[in-house]
Amino acid sequence: MSEAIITFKNVSKTYILYKNDRARFQALFFKPRNPKTNKALNDVSFEIYRGESVGIVGDNGAGKSTLLKMITGVAFPDEGEIIVNGKVAALLELTAGFSMEMTGRENIYLKGYILGLEDAYIKQIEERIIDFAELGDYIDQPVRTYSSGMKMRLGFAINVNIEPDVLVVDEALSVGDASFKRKCKDKIKEIISAGTTVLYVSHNAESVREICPRSIYLRKGTVIFDGTTDETLKVYQDYKEAQKNKKKK
Amino acid sequence: MITSIFKEHKGFGKQIFLLAKNELIKTYKGAVIGPGWAVVKPAFTVFVYWFAFSVGIKTMKTMHVNLGSHDPFSIDFFTFMFIGIIPWFFIQDSIIQGAKTLRTNRQFITKVKFPVSTILTYTALSRLYVHLMLMVLMYTYVFFAIGPSWYNLQFFFYCPLMFIFFLALSWSTAPMSAFSKDFESLIVSIMSGIFWLSGIMYDSYSFQEPLKFIMLLNPINFFANGYRNCFLYHRPFFLYKTELAVFLAEFIVVFALGIFNYNRLRKKLPDVL
Repeated sequence: MSEAIITFKNVSKTYILYKNDRARFQALFFKPRNPKTNKALNDVSFEIYRGESVGIVGDNGAGKSTLLKMITGVAFPDEGEIIVNGKVAALLELTAGFSMEMTGRENIYLKGYILGLEDAYIKQIEERIIDFAELGDYIDQPVRTYSSGMKMRLGFAINVNIEPDVLVVDEALSVGDASFKRKCKDKIKEIISAGTTVLYVSHNAESVREICPRSIYLRKGTVIFDGTTDETLKVYQDYKEAQKNKKKK
Repeated sequence: MITSIFKEHKGFGKQIFLLAKNELIKTYKGAVIGPGWAVVKPAFTVFVYWFAFSVGIKTMKTMHVNLGSHDPFSIDFFTFMFIGIIPWFFIQDSIIQGAKTLRTNRQFITKVKFPVSTILTYTALSRLYVHLMLMVLMYTYVFFAIGPSWYNLQFFFYCPLMFIFFLALSWSTAPMSAFSKDFESLIVSIMSGIFWLSGIMYDSYSFQEPLKFIMLLNPINFFANGYRNCFLYHRPFFLYKTELAVFLAEFIVVFALGIFNYNRLRKKLPDVL
Protein backbone atom coordinates (compact mmCIF):
# COMPACT_ATOMS: atom_id res chain seq x y z
CA MET A 1 0.00 0.00 0.00
CA SER A 2 1.08 3.61 -0.52
CA GLU A 3 1.70 6.13 2.26
CA ALA A 4 -0.92 6.90 4.90
CA ILE A 5 -2.71 10.18 4.25
CA ILE A 6 -4.80 10.17 7.42
CA THR A 7 -3.51 8.65 10.62
CA PHE A 8 -5.43 8.43 13.90
CA LYS A 9 -3.31 7.28 16.82
CA ASN A 10 -5.24 6.42 19.98
CA VAL A 11 -7.50 9.42 19.56
CA SER A 12 -9.95 10.19 22.35
CA LYS A 13 -12.31 13.08 22.71
CA THR A 14 -14.40 13.83 25.73
CA TYR A 15 -17.05 16.49 25.93
CA ILE A 16 -17.55 17.90 29.38
CA LEU A 17 -21.21 18.40 30.19
CA TYR A 18 -21.37 21.35 32.53
CA LYS A 19 -24.13 21.07 35.06
CA ASN A 20 -25.06 24.72 34.74
CA ASP A 21 -23.64 28.08 33.79
CA ARG A 22 -21.96 28.47 37.12
CA ALA A 23 -20.00 25.29 36.64
CA ARG A 24 -19.02 26.52 33.22
CA PHE A 25 -17.79 29.83 34.66
CA GLN A 26 -15.82 28.03 37.35
CA ALA A 27 -14.24 25.76 34.79
CA LEU A 28 -12.49 28.83 33.39
CA PHE A 29 -10.33 29.00 36.47
CA PHE A 30 -10.39 25.57 38.08
CA LYS A 31 -10.42 22.07 36.72
CA PRO A 32 -13.92 20.72 37.29
CA ARG A 33 -14.10 17.93 39.85
CA ASN A 34 -15.48 14.66 38.45
CA PRO A 35 -17.75 16.32 35.91
CA LYS A 36 -20.26 14.49 33.76
CA THR A 37 -18.62 13.64 30.50
CA ASN A 38 -19.54 12.25 27.16
CA LYS A 39 -16.86 10.25 25.50
CA ALA A 40 -17.37 10.99 21.82
CA LEU A 41 -14.35 9.05 20.67
CA ASN A 42 -12.54 6.42 22.67
CA ASP A 43 -9.07 5.29 21.69
CA VAL A 44 -9.66 5.39 17.97
CA SER A 45 -6.81 4.29 15.75
CA PHE A 46 -6.73 3.73 12.02
CA GLU A 47 -4.83 4.64 8.91
CA ILE A 48 -6.23 5.65 5.58
CA TYR A 49 -4.02 5.44 2.53
CA ARG A 50 -3.78 7.71 -0.45
CA GLY A 51 -6.43 6.93 -3.01
CA GLU A 52 -8.63 4.85 -0.73
CA SER A 53 -12.36 5.37 -0.39
CA VAL A 54 -13.51 4.60 3.10
CA GLY A 55 -17.04 4.59 4.42
CA ILE A 56 -17.84 5.53 7.99
CA VAL A 57 -20.96 3.88 9.30
CA GLY A 58 -22.67 3.97 12.65
CA ASP A 59 -25.79 5.19 14.42
CA ASN A 60 -26.45 8.74 15.45
CA GLY A 61 -24.12 9.74 18.25
CA ALA A 62 -21.54 7.13 17.37
CA GLY A 63 -18.92 9.82 16.90
CA LYS A 64 -18.98 10.10 13.13
CA SER A 65 -19.32 13.87 13.06
CA THR A 66 -16.65 14.34 15.70
CA LEU A 67 -14.32 12.19 13.69
CA LEU A 68 -14.95 14.15 10.52
CA LYS A 69 -14.60 17.48 12.32
CA MET A 70 -11.19 16.38 13.49
CA ILE A 71 -10.11 15.40 10.01
CA THR A 72 -11.22 18.75 8.64
CA GLY A 73 -9.35 20.53 11.43
CA VAL A 74 -12.37 22.10 13.15
CA ALA A 75 -12.24 20.09 16.37
CA PHE A 76 -9.26 18.75 18.27
CA PRO A 77 -8.63 15.56 20.23
CA ASP A 78 -7.99 15.49 23.98
CA GLU A 79 -5.62 12.60 23.66
CA GLY A 80 -3.84 10.95 20.82
CA GLU A 81 -2.60 12.26 17.56
CA ILE A 82 -4.08 12.97 14.17
CA ILE A 83 -1.95 13.40 11.10
CA VAL A 84 -3.50 14.58 7.86
CA ASN A 85 -1.16 15.00 4.93
CA GLY A 86 -2.83 17.20 2.38
CA LYS A 87 -5.68 19.51 1.54
CA VAL A 88 -9.01 18.47 2.94
CA ALA A 89 -12.24 19.46 1.24
CA ALA A 90 -15.33 18.94 3.32
CA LEU A 91 -18.78 18.61 1.83
CA LEU A 92 -20.47 18.84 5.20
CA GLU A 93 -21.94 22.24 5.91
CA LEU A 94 -21.70 24.04 2.65
CA THR A 95 -23.39 27.28 3.63
CA ALA A 96 -21.18 27.80 6.66
CA GLY A 97 -17.93 29.67 6.90
CA PHE A 98 -18.62 32.44 4.43
CA SER A 99 -17.95 36.03 5.22
CA MET A 100 -21.38 37.46 4.50
CA GLU A 101 -20.31 40.94 3.45
CA MET A 102 -17.67 39.73 1.07
CA THR A 103 -18.53 38.92 -2.50
CA GLY A 104 -18.58 35.36 -3.73
CA ARG A 105 -15.28 35.98 -5.50
CA GLU A 106 -13.65 37.32 -2.35
CA ASN A 107 -14.91 34.32 -0.44
CA ILE A 108 -13.23 32.03 -2.94
CA TYR A 109 -9.95 33.74 -2.07
CA LEU A 110 -10.67 33.65 1.66
CA LYS A 111 -11.28 29.92 1.55
CA GLY A 112 -8.19 29.47 -0.59
CA TYR A 113 -6.01 31.32 1.88
CA ILE A 114 -7.38 29.31 4.79
CA LEU A 115 -6.34 26.19 2.91
CA GLY A 116 -2.92 27.70 2.37
CA LEU A 117 -3.18 28.15 -1.39
CA GLU A 118 -1.19 30.66 -3.38
CA ASP A 119 -2.70 33.65 -5.17
CA ALA A 120 -1.68 32.37 -8.58
CA TYR A 121 -3.29 29.01 -7.97
CA ILE A 122 -6.54 30.48 -6.72
CA LYS A 123 -6.68 32.71 -9.78
CA GLN A 124 -6.30 29.62 -11.88
CA ILE A 125 -9.24 27.75 -10.33
CA GLU A 126 -11.42 30.83 -9.80
CA GLU A 127 -13.20 30.68 -13.16
CA ARG A 128 -13.79 26.96 -12.83
CA ILE A 129 -15.45 27.50 -9.47
CA ILE A 130 -17.65 30.30 -10.76
CA ASP A 131 -18.68 28.24 -13.75
CA PHE A 132 -19.48 25.24 -11.64
CA ALA A 133 -21.52 27.21 -9.10
CA GLU A 134 -23.62 28.73 -11.90
CA LEU A 135 -23.70 32.05 -10.14
CA GLY A 136 -23.18 34.31 -13.16
CA ASP A 137 -23.02 37.98 -12.26
CA TYR A 138 -23.88 37.23 -8.66
CA ILE A 139 -20.30 36.22 -8.03
CA ASP A 140 -19.43 39.87 -7.43
CA GLN A 141 -22.33 40.47 -5.04
CA PRO A 142 -22.06 40.06 -1.27
CA VAL A 143 -22.81 36.53 -0.14
CA ARG A 144 -25.54 37.80 2.18
CA THR A 145 -27.64 38.51 -0.92
CA TYR A 146 -27.43 34.87 -2.02
CA SER A 147 -30.24 32.39 -1.65
CA SER A 148 -29.39 29.34 0.43
CA GLY A 149 -29.19 27.30 -2.76
CA MET A 150 -26.66 29.70 -4.22
CA LYS A 151 -24.55 29.57 -1.07
CA MET A 152 -24.56 25.78 -1.16
CA ARG A 153 -23.57 25.77 -4.81
CA LEU A 154 -20.70 28.12 -4.14
CA GLY A 155 -19.58 26.10 -1.12
CA PHE A 156 -19.71 22.90 -3.09
CA ALA A 157 -17.95 24.40 -6.09
CA ILE A 158 -15.08 25.74 -4.01
CA ASN A 159 -14.56 22.48 -2.18
CA VAL A 160 -14.53 20.23 -5.20
CA ASN A 161 -12.42 22.48 -7.40
CA ILE A 162 -9.46 23.02 -5.10
CA GLU A 163 -8.14 19.61 -6.16
CA PRO A 164 -8.27 18.21 -2.65
CA ASP A 165 -6.17 15.31 -1.43
CA VAL A 166 -8.97 14.20 0.86
CA LEU A 167 -12.66 14.64 0.23
CA VAL A 168 -15.05 14.27 3.14
CA VAL A 169 -18.63 13.70 2.10
CA ASP A 170 -21.76 13.39 4.16
CA GLU A 171 -24.39 11.45 2.33
CA ALA A 172 -27.15 13.59 3.80
CA LEU A 173 -25.71 16.49 1.83
CA SER A 174 -28.33 18.68 0.24
CA VAL A 175 -27.29 20.87 -2.63
CA GLY A 176 -30.51 22.23 -3.99
CA ASP A 177 -32.46 21.30 -7.07
CA ALA A 178 -32.37 17.97 -8.86
CA SER A 179 -30.26 18.99 -11.81
CA PHE A 180 -27.53 20.45 -9.63
CA LYS A 181 -27.72 17.41 -7.39
CA ARG A 182 -26.96 15.22 -10.37
CA LYS A 183 -24.08 17.47 -11.34
CA CYS A 184 -22.67 17.15 -7.82
CA LYS A 185 -22.97 13.40 -7.79
CA ASP A 186 -21.16 13.21 -11.11
CA LYS A 187 -18.46 15.53 -9.84
CA ILE A 188 -17.94 13.44 -6.70
CA LYS A 189 -17.67 10.30 -8.81
CA GLU A 190 -15.19 12.07 -11.06
CA ILE A 191 -13.07 13.03 -8.07
CA ILE A 192 -13.17 9.51 -6.72
CA SER A 193 -12.11 7.99 -10.00
CA ALA A 194 -9.29 10.53 -10.22
CA GLY A 195 -7.78 8.79 -7.22
CA THR A 196 -8.65 11.23 -4.43
CA THR A 197 -8.96 9.81 -0.96
CA VAL A 198 -12.60 9.87 0.06
CA LEU A 199 -14.29 9.55 3.41
CA TYR A 200 -17.94 8.84 3.04
CA VAL A 201 -20.44 9.03 5.86
CA SER A 202 -23.80 7.46 5.40
CA HIS A 203 -26.70 5.59 6.92
CA ASN A 204 -27.44 4.06 3.58
CA ALA A 205 -25.68 0.72 3.21
CA GLU A 206 -26.17 0.58 -0.54
CA SER A 207 -24.49 3.87 -1.32
CA VAL A 208 -21.53 3.00 0.89
CA ARG A 209 -21.16 -0.31 -0.88
CA GLU A 210 -21.28 1.47 -4.23
CA ILE A 211 -18.47 3.89 -3.43
CA CYS A 212 -16.24 2.43 -0.75
CA PRO A 213 -14.40 -0.89 -0.78
CA ARG A 214 -13.45 -0.39 2.88
CA SER A 215 -15.53 0.78 5.82
CA ILE A 216 -15.14 1.60 9.48
CA TYR A 217 -17.96 0.92 11.88
CA LEU A 218 -18.20 3.17 14.93
CA ARG A 219 -20.34 2.50 17.97
CA LYS A 220 -20.34 4.84 20.96
CA GLY A 221 -17.01 6.33 20.00
CA THR A 222 -15.21 3.06 19.52
CA VAL A 223 -14.11 1.38 16.34
CA ILE A 224 -16.02 -1.90 16.34
CA PHE A 225 -14.94 -3.10 12.97
CA ASP A 226 -12.58 -1.96 10.25
CA GLY A 227 -12.44 -4.00 7.06
CA THR A 228 -14.06 -4.55 3.71
CA THR A 229 -17.40 -2.85 3.35
CA ASP A 230 -19.27 -6.14 2.99
CA GLU A 231 -17.89 -7.47 6.25
CA THR A 232 -18.36 -4.19 8.08
CA LEU A 233 -21.94 -3.81 6.97
CA LYS A 234 -22.63 -7.36 8.02
CA VAL A 235 -21.33 -6.68 11.53
CA TYR A 236 -23.34 -3.46 11.64
CA GLN A 237 -26.55 -5.10 10.49
CA ASP A 238 -26.12 -8.06 12.81
CA TYR A 239 -25.83 -5.68 15.70
CA LYS A 240 -28.92 -3.81 14.61
CA GLU A 241 -30.86 -7.06 14.36
CA ALA A 242 -29.70 -8.06 17.80
CA GLN A 243 -30.82 -4.72 19.17
CA LYS A 244 -34.23 -5.12 17.57
CA ASN A 245 -34.65 -8.60 18.99
CA LYS A 246 -33.66 -7.39 22.41
CA LYS A 247 -36.33 -4.73 22.28
CA LYS A 248 -38.95 -7.27 21.24
CA LYS A 249 -38.13 -9.38 24.25
CA MET B 1 2.80 26.35 21.25
CA ILE B 2 3.92 29.85 22.15
CA THR B 3 3.98 30.88 18.55
CA SER B 4 0.58 29.53 17.51
CA ILE B 5 -0.94 33.00 17.28
CA PHE B 6 1.85 34.24 15.06
CA LYS B 7 1.72 31.15 12.93
CA GLU B 8 -1.97 31.68 12.33
CA HIS B 9 -1.28 35.17 11.05
CA LYS B 10 1.43 34.14 8.66
CA GLY B 11 0.43 34.62 5.05
CA PHE B 12 -3.01 35.79 6.07
CA GLY B 13 -2.23 39.52 6.12
CA LYS B 14 -4.14 40.51 3.03
CA GLN B 15 -7.21 38.59 4.17
CA ILE B 16 -7.09 40.30 7.55
CA PHE B 17 -7.33 43.70 5.90
CA LEU B 18 -10.13 42.53 3.66
CA LEU B 19 -12.05 41.03 6.56
CA ALA B 20 -11.54 44.20 8.58
CA LYS B 21 -13.01 46.24 5.75
CA ASN B 22 -15.99 43.93 5.61
CA GLU B 23 -16.43 44.15 9.36
CA LEU B 24 -16.88 47.90 8.92
CA ILE B 25 -19.33 47.43 6.08
CA LYS B 26 -21.30 45.03 8.26
CA THR B 27 -21.45 47.60 11.05
CA TYR B 28 -22.44 50.60 9.00
CA LYS B 29 -24.29 49.28 5.97
CA GLY B 30 -27.83 50.36 5.36
CA ALA B 31 -27.48 53.64 7.24
CA VAL B 32 -27.85 56.88 5.31
CA ILE B 33 -24.71 58.48 6.68
CA GLY B 34 -23.01 55.09 6.99
CA PRO B 35 -19.60 55.45 8.63
CA GLY B 36 -20.70 58.90 9.76
CA TRP B 37 -22.25 57.13 12.73
CA ALA B 38 -18.76 56.25 13.89
CA VAL B 39 -18.33 59.97 14.46
CA VAL B 40 -21.79 60.98 15.56
CA LYS B 41 -21.88 58.83 18.67
CA PRO B 42 -18.52 59.95 20.11
CA ALA B 43 -19.22 63.56 19.14
CA PHE B 44 -22.48 63.49 21.04
CA THR B 45 -20.79 61.85 24.04
CA VAL B 46 -18.14 64.55 24.07
CA PHE B 47 -20.83 67.20 23.93
CA VAL B 48 -22.77 65.65 26.80
CA TYR B 49 -19.72 65.45 29.08
CA TRP B 50 -18.69 68.98 28.24
CA PHE B 51 -22.23 70.19 28.88
CA ALA B 52 -22.55 68.32 32.16
CA PHE B 53 -19.23 69.44 33.58
CA SER B 54 -18.67 72.89 32.15
CA VAL B 55 -22.22 74.16 31.84
CA GLY B 56 -24.07 72.03 34.39
CA ILE B 57 -21.53 71.72 37.17
CA LYS B 58 -20.06 75.14 36.60
CA THR B 59 -16.82 74.51 38.48
CA MET B 60 -15.06 72.56 35.74
CA LYS B 61 -14.05 75.23 33.27
CA THR B 62 -10.29 75.14 33.59
CA MET B 63 -8.08 72.17 34.43
CA HIS B 64 -4.88 72.58 36.42
CA VAL B 65 -2.68 69.61 35.67
CA ASN B 66 0.24 68.78 37.95
CA LEU B 67 3.10 67.86 35.66
CA GLY B 68 5.75 68.09 38.34
CA SER B 69 6.93 71.63 37.64
CA HIS B 70 6.25 74.58 39.95
CA ASP B 71 3.23 75.91 38.16
CA PRO B 72 0.42 73.61 37.14
CA PHE B 73 -0.37 73.31 33.47
CA SER B 74 -3.64 75.08 32.84
CA ILE B 75 -6.01 74.27 30.02
CA ASP B 76 -9.71 74.56 29.38
CA PHE B 77 -11.70 71.52 30.38
CA PHE B 78 -13.04 70.78 26.90
CA THR B 79 -9.59 70.45 25.31
CA PHE B 80 -8.32 68.37 28.22
CA MET B 81 -11.27 65.99 28.11
CA PHE B 82 -11.47 65.80 24.30
CA ILE B 83 -7.87 64.64 23.88
CA GLY B 84 -8.19 62.03 26.61
CA ILE B 85 -11.53 60.64 25.56
CA ILE B 86 -10.55 59.84 21.96
CA PRO B 87 -8.29 56.93 22.99
CA TRP B 88 -10.98 55.94 25.52
CA PHE B 89 -13.52 55.35 22.74
CA PHE B 90 -11.10 52.94 21.13
CA ILE B 91 -10.30 51.26 24.45
CA GLN B 92 -13.94 50.86 25.39
CA ASP B 93 -14.84 49.27 22.06
CA SER B 94 -11.74 47.11 22.17
CA ILE B 95 -12.55 45.68 25.56
CA ILE B 96 -16.27 45.12 25.02
CA GLN B 97 -16.26 44.11 21.36
CA GLY B 98 -12.99 42.26 21.77
CA ALA B 99 -14.54 40.04 24.39
CA LYS B 100 -17.62 39.33 22.28
CA THR B 101 -15.87 38.81 18.98
CA LEU B 102 -15.42 35.06 19.00
CA ARG B 103 -19.03 34.52 19.92
CA THR B 104 -20.30 36.79 17.15
CA ASN B 105 -17.96 35.21 14.60
CA ARG B 106 -18.62 31.66 15.67
CA GLN B 107 -19.34 30.52 12.11
CA PHE B 108 -15.59 30.62 11.53
CA ILE B 109 -14.88 28.47 14.57
CA THR B 110 -17.48 25.73 14.68
CA LYS B 111 -18.00 25.08 10.99
CA VAL B 112 -14.73 25.53 9.20
CA LYS B 113 -11.05 25.39 9.87
CA PHE B 114 -9.96 28.96 10.44
CA PRO B 115 -6.99 30.76 11.98
CA VAL B 116 -9.09 31.79 14.97
CA SER B 117 -6.76 34.39 16.44
CA THR B 118 -6.95 36.41 13.23
CA ILE B 119 -10.63 37.01 14.00
CA LEU B 120 -9.48 39.09 16.94
CA THR B 121 -7.00 40.92 14.74
CA TYR B 122 -9.33 41.88 11.93
CA THR B 123 -12.08 43.06 14.24
CA ALA B 124 -9.50 45.09 16.18
CA LEU B 125 -8.25 46.51 12.92
CA SER B 126 -11.72 47.65 11.96
CA ARG B 127 -11.90 49.52 15.27
CA LEU B 128 -8.53 51.07 14.53
CA TYR B 129 -9.92 52.50 11.28
CA VAL B 130 -12.66 54.18 13.29
CA HIS B 131 -10.11 55.46 15.76
CA LEU B 132 -7.99 56.95 12.98
CA MET B 133 -11.05 58.66 11.57
CA LEU B 134 -11.72 60.25 14.95
CA MET B 135 -8.06 61.15 15.21
CA VAL B 136 -8.33 63.18 12.01
CA LEU B 137 -11.12 65.18 13.60
CA MET B 138 -9.28 65.56 16.87
CA TYR B 139 -6.07 66.62 15.20
CA THR B 140 -7.89 69.23 13.16
CA TYR B 141 -9.10 70.67 16.45
CA VAL B 142 -5.66 70.37 18.08
CA PHE B 143 -4.00 71.98 15.07
CA PHE B 144 -6.05 75.15 15.40
CA ALA B 145 -6.62 75.24 19.15
CA ILE B 146 -3.12 74.34 20.35
CA GLY B 147 -0.95 74.25 17.27
CA PRO B 148 1.23 71.51 15.85
CA SER B 149 4.30 70.21 17.62
CA TRP B 150 6.98 67.61 17.06
CA TYR B 151 5.63 65.86 20.12
CA ASN B 152 2.51 65.06 18.08
CA LEU B 153 4.55 62.40 16.32
CA GLN B 154 4.57 60.36 19.52
CA PHE B 155 1.09 59.34 18.41
CA PHE B 156 2.89 56.74 16.31
CA PHE B 157 4.30 55.31 19.53
CA TYR B 158 1.15 55.34 21.63
CA CYS B 159 -1.38 54.30 19.02
CA PRO B 160 0.29 51.04 17.86
CA LEU B 161 1.08 50.21 21.47
CA MET B 162 -2.56 50.71 22.40
CA PHE B 163 -3.66 48.54 19.50
CA ILE B 164 -1.35 45.69 20.48
CA PHE B 165 -2.06 45.96 24.19
CA PHE B 166 -5.81 45.61 23.82
CA LEU B 167 -5.44 42.98 21.13
CA ALA B 168 -3.30 40.94 23.52
CA LEU B 169 -5.89 41.50 26.23
CA SER B 170 -8.56 40.04 23.96
CA TRP B 171 -6.50 36.87 23.55
CA SER B 172 -7.52 36.23 27.14
CA THR B 173 -10.97 37.78 27.34
CA ALA B 174 -12.39 36.55 24.04
CA PRO B 175 -11.90 32.81 24.59
CA MET B 176 -13.03 33.18 28.18
CA SER B 177 -16.18 35.02 27.12
CA ALA B 178 -16.83 32.38 24.51
CA PHE B 179 -16.69 29.83 27.30
CA SER B 180 -18.88 31.62 29.75
CA LYS B 181 -21.45 34.27 29.04
CA ASP B 182 -21.10 35.34 32.66
CA PHE B 183 -17.54 36.41 31.97
CA GLU B 184 -18.69 38.46 29.01
CA SER B 185 -21.44 40.12 31.05
CA LEU B 186 -18.94 40.82 33.79
CA ILE B 187 -16.73 42.73 31.39
CA VAL B 188 -19.61 44.70 29.92
CA SER B 189 -20.96 45.67 33.31
CA ILE B 190 -17.70 46.97 34.74
CA MET B 191 -16.89 49.12 31.72
CA SER B 192 -18.71 52.28 32.73
CA GLY B 193 -17.13 51.96 36.14
CA ILE B 194 -13.70 51.68 34.59
CA PHE B 195 -14.35 54.90 32.72
CA TRP B 196 -14.78 56.84 35.95
CA LEU B 197 -11.79 55.10 37.54
CA SER B 198 -9.60 56.28 34.68
CA GLY B 199 -8.24 59.75 34.24
CA ILE B 200 -10.36 60.72 31.28
CA MET B 201 -12.54 63.38 32.88
CA TYR B 202 -10.00 64.30 35.53
CA ASP B 203 -6.25 64.43 35.87
CA SER B 204 -4.76 61.29 37.40
CA TYR B 205 -1.44 63.04 38.05
CA SER B 206 -2.95 65.46 40.54
CA PHE B 207 -3.57 62.91 43.28
CA GLN B 208 -1.45 62.60 46.40
CA GLU B 209 0.70 59.52 46.88
CA PRO B 210 -0.07 56.65 47.21
CA LEU B 211 -3.18 57.24 45.13
CA LYS B 212 -1.11 58.77 42.37
CA PHE B 213 0.89 55.55 42.09
CA ILE B 214 -2.21 53.38 42.25
CA MET B 215 -3.60 55.30 39.29
CA LEU B 216 -0.52 54.31 37.31
CA LEU B 217 -1.60 50.68 37.60
CA ASN B 218 -4.51 51.42 35.31
CA PRO B 219 -3.16 51.08 31.75
CA ILE B 220 -5.98 53.24 30.44
CA ASN B 221 -4.41 56.19 32.23
CA PHE B 222 -1.18 55.50 30.43
CA PHE B 223 -2.89 56.04 27.10
CA ALA B 224 -5.11 58.95 28.12
CA ASN B 225 -2.07 60.73 29.56
CA GLY B 226 0.02 59.56 26.63
CA TYR B 227 -2.26 61.19 24.09
CA ARG B 228 -2.13 64.32 26.21
CA ASN B 229 1.67 64.09 26.18
CA CYS B 230 1.50 64.14 22.41
CA PHE B 231 -1.01 66.83 21.79
CA LEU B 232 -1.38 68.87 24.96
CA TYR B 233 1.52 68.70 27.40
CA HIS B 234 4.17 68.28 24.69
CA ARG B 235 6.24 65.96 26.87
CA PRO B 236 8.31 63.00 25.70
CA PHE B 237 6.85 59.60 26.55
CA PHE B 238 9.88 58.60 28.62
CA LEU B 239 9.82 61.62 30.91
CA TYR B 240 7.72 60.01 33.63
CA LYS B 241 9.78 56.85 34.05
CA THR B 242 7.71 55.16 36.74
CA GLU B 243 4.61 55.42 34.58
CA LEU B 244 6.38 53.91 31.58
CA ALA B 245 7.95 51.12 33.63
CA VAL B 246 4.66 50.14 35.28
CA PHE B 247 2.96 50.06 31.93
CA LEU B 248 5.63 47.99 30.25
CA ALA B 249 5.49 45.46 33.07
CA GLU B 250 1.73 45.21 32.65
CA PHE B 251 2.14 44.91 28.94
CA ILE B 252 4.39 41.89 29.31
CA VAL B 253 1.99 40.26 31.77
CA VAL B 254 -1.05 40.85 29.55
CA PHE B 255 0.83 39.60 26.51
CA ALA B 256 2.03 36.44 28.22
CA LEU B 257 -1.36 35.76 29.80
CA GLY B 258 -2.98 36.28 26.42
CA ILE B 259 -0.82 33.69 24.76
CA PHE B 260 -1.31 31.33 27.69
CA ASN B 261 -5.10 31.66 27.76
CA TYR B 262 -5.48 31.49 24.02
CA ASN B 263 -3.46 28.31 23.76
CA ARG B 264 -5.23 26.83 26.77
CA LEU B 265 -8.71 27.43 25.38
CA ARG B 266 -8.29 27.47 21.61
CA LYS B 267 -8.90 23.78 21.09
CA LYS B 268 -11.94 23.75 23.30
CA LEU B 269 -13.63 26.66 21.52
CA PRO B 270 -15.38 24.59 18.82
CA ASP B 271 -16.93 22.46 21.57
CA VAL B 272 -18.39 25.29 23.60
CA LEU B 273 -19.55 27.78 20.97
